[in-house]
Amino acid sequence: MNNHNIYKPIKAKVLEVIEESPTIKTFVLKPENHFTFHTGQFVELVVDGVGEAPFTPSSSPLVKDRIDITVMRTGYLTQRLHQLKGGETVGIRGPYGRGYPLEKLYDREVLVLGGGCGFAPLRSLLYNLQAEQERIKKVTFCYGSKNPRECIYEPYIEELRSIPKFEVMRTVDEADESWTEEVGVATVLLDKIDVHIDDSVAVVVGPPIMMKFSVQKLLEMGYPETSIYLSMEKNMSCGLGKCGHCMMGEYFVCKDGPVFRYDEIKDKPDIWK
Amino acid sequence: MNKYYTLSRHDWEKSLANLINQFVIYAPVYYGEQQDYELIGESDIPHIVYNRPKPATPLKTFFLPVEENVMSTKAPPKQRIIMGVPSCDLAAANIQDEMYLNRDFADPVYKRNRDASILVGTDCHTIEEHCHCTTYGIKPYPEFNHDLTLSLMDETIYLYTHSEKGNSLIQAMEKFTHFHEPTENEIQALLDKRKEVEELLNHNNQGLPDYRKTGELVQHSGREIWKKYSQTCVSCGACATICPTCTCFLLMERPGFEKVRHLDACQYPGFEKVAAGEDPLRPLHKRFYNRYMCKYVWKPQKFDSIACTGCGRCIEACIGSINKNELFLELANT
Ligand code: SF4
Ligand code: SF4
Ligand code: SF4
Ligand code: FES
Repeated sequence: MNNHNIYKPIKAKVLEVIEESPTIKTFVLKPENHFTFHTGQFVELVVDGVGEAPFTPSSSPLVKDRIDITVMRTGYLTQRLHQLKGGETVGIRGPYGRGYPLEKLYDREVLVLGGGCGFAPLRSLLYNLQAEQERIKKVTFCYGSKNPRECIYEPYIEELRSIPKFEVMRTVDEADESWTEEVGVATVLLDKIDVHIDDSVAVVVGPPIMMKFSVQKLLEMGYPETSIYLSMEKNMSCGLGKCGHCMMGEYFVCKDGPVFRYDEIKDKPDIWK
Repeated sequence: MNKYYTLSRHDWEKSLANLINQFVIYAPVYYGEQQDYELIGESDIPHIVYNRPKPATPLKTFFLPVEENVMSTKAPPKQRIIMGVPSCDLAAANIQDEMYLNRDFADPVYKRNRDASILVGTDCHTIEEHCHCTTYGIKPYPEFNHDLTLSLMDETIYLYTHSEKGNSLIQAMEKFTHFHEPTENEIQALLDKRKEVEELLNHNNQGLPDYRKTGELVQHSGREIWKKYSQTCVSCGACATICPTCTCFLLMERPGFEKVRHLDACQYPGFEKVAAGEDPLRPLHKRFYNRYMCKYVWKPQKFDSIACTGCGRCIEACIGSINKNELFLELANT
């Protein structure tokens, strides 16, 4: 690693672009060089001459020859990404940061709580748990989305529902006539789950406001602060703990996180902003 | 290994003229109301200033230029000698090194720039209005992070070696000049001067809380004082750009997968804004407060080095006339 330039991306070919929802696309990438990551770690995705931004891969860390990155269109860079058709070359740097604490999930009932595009990084975790299902007691996956059209990864939901150890519950803020599942914000699902809280660990990823109310609810339900893990989203540039953009108190979210235990960050300033 | 060498100013200037062929030399030159580093050619040698506190530009700019391509790590053809570096800026190299050279991710361009530099520190023989290094435990004369100390007293140059690089420089100069050893009296005069300046600084900054105490005060302060002091802040970012211990930057893409590192500052609006729109530092007073939490609370929690050297540049640079030390005195006295 000594002569490696930490800022230099490796090139990756865009194999396929999958439209997940009107605002979300998945880019299937084939890195030119060997590339591995731990679930929950992120990469910097580089669009040549345009910019780079951090994304947590949505594919399984156990799949070695390609990585999926699911991107919601929010700003200039993501708009440029959404224009890719496949066949282009992008760059990736990483993987960076501390991912999900798999070892803390083994032999426990895992509650996975996702909101909106937060399903993307969680899909990587779910794939990982699925592959290691003999090591966990069960997985309850609660997913909230704005409306049925923004519910992503439909085929994967079906796949998960067919696994005995996995339970999947979904809700949307605004339903339409096709919707047969819950209606309301993501936290309504928590009233319906069947987990042994003492034996459970929760992982929450979603928009800040969703994470805030989910944590409140989990605490009320009796989850200890030390059993709740969150993946934090902050402005990032370097991903290396140097540029300062992602500071949250003394933490660099890119290096000390992005996954934190709630008690580690609860007193830091503006964690929900 | 550490040893004193002296020579007359005249001989020193002659040997500098020789060194110009082998090295790139930067030294502080005085112009207008301040001194700053200049690339030294032969005709500039007589204008180099000695033992004056802090060049306008902090040392970090040599290692972290305002803008630099981080994809090219080629070493420069010549080593550069940076003269006249004050102790506060050498002390600031600690936090910069911790940030940029840390084991997990060493910045190759910072390292290249750092390795290519021979640092000649200087004792400050005068002080400026806002100098307060001693309040934060830094002496007004170099103690570490340099290769050589250089002082001018009574038209005599005193050199003191601190590293292998410093020794090599002396050896290089021995080819065309002759050094003497200073007398005990001369050394004593240098040490007396150090003491005098240190006492002057302590006297000037009486009552100003030390580094640790400042951290406590900042951490436990209410919001009002930050609102009050930030009223005249225009978010220009000068305080951070000019600060020897500020480390922040932004990476920018250039065609061909080139990447440029640009100095950045938490005082600019949008520094922490995320794509989805959240921006924890949107209110001006929060940005302003962030800088002091960073310097006096968070950085010392995370690193072994201090993140303010008391150089006073942020006070001088602020177009809003904000003086952090007035703020700290107010915090300490209420
Ligand atoms: S004070 Fe602001 S600009 Fe300076 S290092 Fe801290 S976060 Fe960066
Ligand atoms: S905060 Fe001000 S006094 Fe402290 S090191 Fe930075 S510029 Fe100098
Ligand atoms: S130099 Fe002064 S006006 Fe400019 S950002 Fe800093 S505090 Fe604000
Ligand atoms: S993204 Fe640069 S320090 Fe975290």
